[in-house]
Amino acid sequence: MSQDQPGRAPVPQLDADAGPAPVAGGDQDAARPGGARRRRRLSLGVQAAVFVAAIIVIALAVDWQTVGESVFNFAAVAPMFPDIILVGFGNTLLYTVTSFAVGLVGGMLLALMRMSAFPPYRWLATVYTEFFRGVPALLVFLAFGYGVPFAFGVQWPIPVVVMASLGLVSAAYISETLRAGLQAVPKGQYEAARSLGMPGWRAMVTIVIPQAFRLVLPPLTNEVILLTKDSSLVYVLGLAAHEFELTKFGRDGITALGAGLTPVLVAGLMYLIITVPLSLLARRFESRSSRGSRS
Amino acid sequence: MTHPSPAGPAAPTVNASGVSITGLNKSYGANHVLKGIDLTVAPGEVVCLIGPSGSGKSTLLRCVNLLEVPDSGTVTVGGFEATDEDVDLNAMRRHVGMVFQQFNLFPHLTVLENCTVAQVKVLRRGKGEAAEVARTNLERVGLAGMEKRFPDQLSGGQQQRVAIARALSMDPQLMLFDEPTSALDPETVGEVLAVMRRLAGVGMTMLVVTHEMSFAREVADRVVFMDGGVVVEEGPAAQVIGNPQQQRTQDFLARVLNPADVDF
Ligand SMILES: Nc1ncnc2c1ncn2[C@@H]1O[C@H](COP(=O)(O)OP(=O)(O)OP(=O)(O)O)[C@@H](O)[C@H]1O
Ligand SMILES: [Mg+2]
Repeated sequence: MSQDQPGRAPVPQLDADAGPAPVAGGDQDAARPGGARRRRRLSLGVQAAVFVAAIIVIALAVDWQTVGESVFNFAAVAPMFPDIILVGFGNTLLYTVTSFAVGLVGGMLLALMRMSAFPPYRWLATVYTEFFRGVPALLVFLAFGYGVPFAFGVQWPIPVVVMASLGLVSAAYISETLRAGLQAVPKGQYEAARSLGMPGWRAMVTIVIPQAFRLVLPPLTNEVILLTKDSSLVYVLGLAAHEFELTKFGRDGITALGAGLTPVLVAGLMYLIITVPLSLLARRFESRSSRGSRS
Repeated sequence: MTHPSPAGPAAPTVNASGVSITGLNKSYGANHVLKGIDLTVAPGEVVCLIGPSGSGKSTLLRCVNLLEVPDSGTVTVGGFEATDEDVDLNAMRRHVGMVFQQFNLFPHLTVLENCTVAQVKVLRRGKGEAAEVARTNLERVGLAGMEKRFPDQLSGGQQQRVAIARALSMDPQLMLFDEPTSALDPETVGEVLAVMRRLAGVGMTMLVVTHEMSFAREVADRVVFMDGGVVVEEGPAAQVIGNPQQQRTQDFLARVLNPADVDF
């Protein structure tokens, strides 16, 4: 749909000695000196040989009988269903989405503070960002899960603990992403908008932020992927059954089902159901913004 | 140059206003860039600002619409005392169009949207009216039919003409140009100069920073030569470019008119 680009310059011709050719696309090397072509073919042959050898070694060395029983024993994990989906998958999604929401709002606030003309705001945001990027998320979980009840005598529900811990950590990363995105929009864009009589806030909302948004979509999508995986850290807190997320299901499955690693593999596949599409989405955003600033 | 001038209908005459600058000073840290500049542009007049790199031409131009805030001195544009603390800068800027060396088109908007966004958001014109104004101005700069393109689908010369149409769509009474052809391929310089020439022809007040001496000689009512943050010489184009009185002006012109003689 975005292939139609009238008036686009044609793809520049590759110079025959402009360096190594990309691995794919065999047509171009007809024009290449024979030496480079032969070397490339040799290299491909070596890679294929190593690949096949590695597969043979693995196939012979592995005890398939045991692996089948303790890794791919899908028959034995039936009792995990449907709870691993209804509860585990659902909770992982819930923890991810709520903490991303907190992270996004907090990140915007921090990014604004980082760019404020009022120095204490900048210092505060810098200290916050450096702190939360510098400590393990696990420590933050412990602080909110065990530290807060201990210090203040209130026990937050687990979803709130996750939302706060992961949200506060990701706000630090997201603020850096947003700030970089805003600063990547050329200053001339803001000046052109101001020169047309737009007030500063209008120039930001209508001209700068939409361009910055496109730049930060891929890193923000990656942040969601990280949050999905980091939500597993909640396992260090004591969870009630209805609060279990995917990793907890996998862990308990190991001891309860006698199917070896299989429950962990199932949990892993469920994570991939979330993260792989996100990863593909991020890549799409990336190729879109690198091709131009089109919508 | 003999480039075909982009076709367009007879443009409307404009409601021009002048500029008056007195005692303008601007420093960046210890770098005193503008040292007491006095300059006036009468309504309908075309003034070309020339001078070596770093002499403060861009800074002076940016002080006119307060993209840079002067340290002292006054800038009056039309009825606006631009340097007054209480002036409504956004209202003032609506009357002052600016064209940048790097175009600064909005890459996420189409050509038409580039020309309508400020009309709608700033002048509060309806979408239909804004589009009509934009189309008229795109036609004026010879770009009818390009409305749906994005800036990155246009040549440099076309982009700069969109930038001019974008500024014109606000119905400015004064146009500022900062080296509008310096970032262009030589073959597209002519089409942009042609648009500017026709704009001058309908009575637009223009303050133009340029290295195009033939354009200045032909179009400018007055040429101002700046060097080291001061106005060294000013007067009719034929005089300043054709028969400069000051040594510094003569040296500069010798360099730009005879690029081969540049001593590095
Ligand atoms: N934002 C800024 N911060 C610091 N110094 C600046 C800034 N803008 C301009 N200057 C300095 O002011 C001086 C004049 O710059 P200016 O851009 O006005 O020159 P110019 O005459 O337009 O030159 P050119 O022909 O290269 O565009 C230069 O020494 C430049 O380094
Ligand atoms: Mg300049």
